[in-house]
Amino acid sequence: MKNPDNPDNPVIRFIGIGGTGVNLVEKLAMIGLQGVESHSVDTDNRSLSNCHQSKTLLLGKAIPCGLGAGGDVALARAAVESDRDHLLRLVSCADLVFVIAGMGGGTGTEAASFVARLAKEAGALVVGVAATPFNCEGSRRGNKAAGGIRDLKQSADIVFHFSNEEVMHITGTEISLNNALEIANRHLCESVLGLSRMLIEPGLLNVSFSDLRDSMTGRHSLGSTLCVEGVGENLAADAMGKILSHPSARMGKALSEATTLLVHLSGGDNLSLAEINTFVESISSHAPDIDLVIGASGTGSNNVLQVILIIVQKSNSKASLIQTNLSKNLTENETLDLNYPENFISSGENSYIGLGAESKGANRVRFAYTPPAPTVETITPEMKDNLLEAAAKQEPNRKKRKEIKQEMLPLEIISKGRFEKIEPTIHKGEDLDQPTYIRRGRMLN
Amino acid sequence: MSNSQIIVGLEIGTSKVCVVVGEVNDNQVANIIGLGQSKSRGVRKGEIVDSSVVEEDVRNAIVEAEHMADVEIQSVFLGVTGSHMRGFNNTGVHPVVSADREINDADIQDVIKNAKAVNLPSDHSVVHVIRQHFSVDGQDGILNPEGMLGAKMEVDVHVVSGRYNRLQNPIRLVSGLHLQVENIAFNGLASSLATLSTEQKELGTLVIDLGAGTTDYAIYSGGVIKHTGVLAVGGDHVSNDLAYGLKVPLGRAEQLKVDNGSAVIDPESKNRMLDLSTDNIVPGKKVNLNHLQMIMSLRLREIFELIANDIDQAGLINYLRAGVVLCGGGARTPHITKLARDIFKLPAAIGRSSTVSGIKNALDEPEFSTSIGLIKFGAFQSQAIPKREGLGRAIRKQFVSLFGGRK
Repeated sequence: MKNPDNPDNPVIRFIGIGGTGVNLVEKLAMIGLQGVESHSVDTDNRSLSNCHQSKTLLLGKAIPCGLGAGGDVALARAAVESDRDHLLRLVSCADLVFVIAGMGGGTGTEAASFVARLAKEAGALVVGVAATPFNCEGSRRGNKAAGGIRDLKQSADIVFHFSNEEVMHITGTEISLNNALEIANRHLCESVLGLSRMLIEPGLLNVSFSDLRDSMTGRHSLGSTLCVEGVGENLAADAMGKILSHPSARMGKALSEATTLLVHLSGGDNLSLAEINTFVESISSHAPDIDLVIGASGTGSNNVLQVILIIVQKSNSKASLIQTNLSKNLTENETLDLNYPENFISSGENSYIGLGAESKGANRVRFAYTPPAPTVETITPEMKDNLLEAAAKQEPNRKKRKEIKQEMLPLEIISKGRFEKIEPTIHKGEDLDQPTYIRRGRMLN
Repeated sequence: MSNSQIIVGLEIGTSKVCVVVGEVNDNQVANIIGLGQSKSRGVRKGEIVDSSVVEEDVRNAIVEAEHMADVEIQSVFLGVTGSHMRGFNNTGVHPVVSADREINDADIQDVIKNAKAVNLPSDHSVVHVIRQHFSVDGQDGILNPEGMLGAKMEVDVHVVSGRYNRLQNPIRLVSGLHLQVENIAFNGLASSLATLSTEQKELGTLVIDLGAGTTDYAIYSGGVIKHTGVLAVGGDHVSNDLAYGLKVPLGRAEQLKVDNGSAVIDPESKNRMLDLSTDNIVPGKKVNLNHLQMIMSLRLREIFELIANDIDQAGLINYLRAGVVLCGGGARTPHITKLARDIFKLPAAIGRSSTVSGIKNALDEPEFSTSIGLIKFGAFQSQAIPKREGLGRAIRKQFVSLFGGRK
């Protein structure tokens, strides 16, 4: 695992998955960071054909035939599983893998967690970068995105979550869609690049890859990363203000929920200790009792304080216990609760993804962890039978087979006797003048 | 005698024509003084199918009652039934227009008139409009709003209606016998008047009149009629089923029903044969008692189930805290109360016409409850009419109003 450009630096890979992921990776690759590999992975040939800076991999050549999953999670899963070997090659021999995907669609939602798992198995530190849709894109998409993040979080060490909705909260609704997406993408790219730069570029007080790994490995939690630049007379205060107004910081709420903060400050030659001190004090006031890792470098430009902040949030305590103690037998319930983000079921204003209040109840069930489908080779004939049987049971539209009852033909003509010639008493289509025992089919014997 | 009033109830039933003569004294207490009955031959399912035969039967019964009571019958209260009759609830609204907003008698008459104006099929006419509860400015459960203040008055009524022509048949027949029909009443209502105490009406009771041609029923709750219905199935159907199933003549089937019938199947009846060999109509015939009881039980069960379904649909099953009261000839069937208890899941009893006094054996028979109820109905009616107005005019007025002046 040696970086070919600089053997001291970690090997960093950006893997963009799905339409949004490919788009973002292409943007990141265009900025071009030394020693970082960019890969675009999608089921859609069209989105990959726009990639010029990154290496491309078409998923599922056989199944969606390069036409995209079209929001079909099952199709995306089939595609990604069929290309397991290619993906494994993509993630092997890397120190840090960024799995970048837009949640809510088909490929990004489903393949991201799969790729993250492969990368994790290959030994890399896996950072998921997930962009979630606007609320107005519908609750179905929102729910799917929440499920995607949850899955990704189970595979990746940490998931940086960039909510388009948060961007809209910060910028206001007056902004055009194009601009909003632009801002959201810019925030995401700046943050990811800032983080990578922090690891690659040398500094005075370095936040090294090992710091990152220590604070993130096995967390399986949500986090945010942001990159701001403080300018003006009071650099620290300006930077702090920008952090608080950053969509990823969610009005500073992310800071107070954090367990670990990695802060990297870079300024010019004249970066004073006082400024660093002011900044650290102000950030500590927002996040007391926290594990703080500070780095600083003086390689940047003068009169600008660039701050790269990585917020690692509390992970589900039960989940981390499970992660550290794998030998412990898990009950089914615990497995279902595994890494369930508290934010997802918290009150509406706290809701990370901005799920509709009415859909909250259903989330827990809907996002229950489903084990990956067995590959075609591993299915035994018995398994196949069982699966078919289960599928038949689940099929909701299948009507119960109506019992066919052989009816008796009335061999004798039933005389109405006394009521022969008068108005019949018909009740719900039944002639009540006929003896009840005959209508009910009771035999006299 | 000058202070008392003679009221006669006439029921032209499917199995019998029954005339009951009552004497109503100044305190409006009815006393049965005469009873006349004859076998009915021209009625099917509660409706006349042969006028000339029915005319003869009615005349016989009237004469018998006149002899017994020693009065000359001039007018009768006539009981009517038939599958064409319908009962439903309606609401009338009336704004109180007087300057002081006090509700007076005219307002009450108006609101009831409005409630009467229901959308009936063109060939139907109203038989009864029974007021249930008034509501004044949204305040419910008012029994008599006269003298109260209010701006808007509503009244819930129970309306019983029937086909005009079919209601006219018995009226014209009785008129042809030079008897005046003072008013007509639905048989189910009349039976309930005879059998129910005020307490039972208050608690909620279902009265089922198991007649020969029809089964009439009425539900009281909170002191007022909530629901009425007619099922054109009765004791005749039981006899007919038996005649068909046991392959005996209808008359013999009826006799078997009375002698050996049961509303529930007796487990001991299994394989028991009734020997009809001594019978001169069907010599040498044997009848399986189990079959007889099964045919009968199924029919009676079906009747009760149909009523139970109807009550269930009307949402009244939970209002019947005083249970079920059975009357009519069918109530004589052994174990009929057990069957009713089974199906309605309510206490059931045979009704006695305890609300009037008089000839003891007439009151105890469930068959006479309709005729006795007609006397009660007549007593209420005549009570409502001030005497000084003159009976004839009052009756005419009643009658005209009853049929909306169509005559």
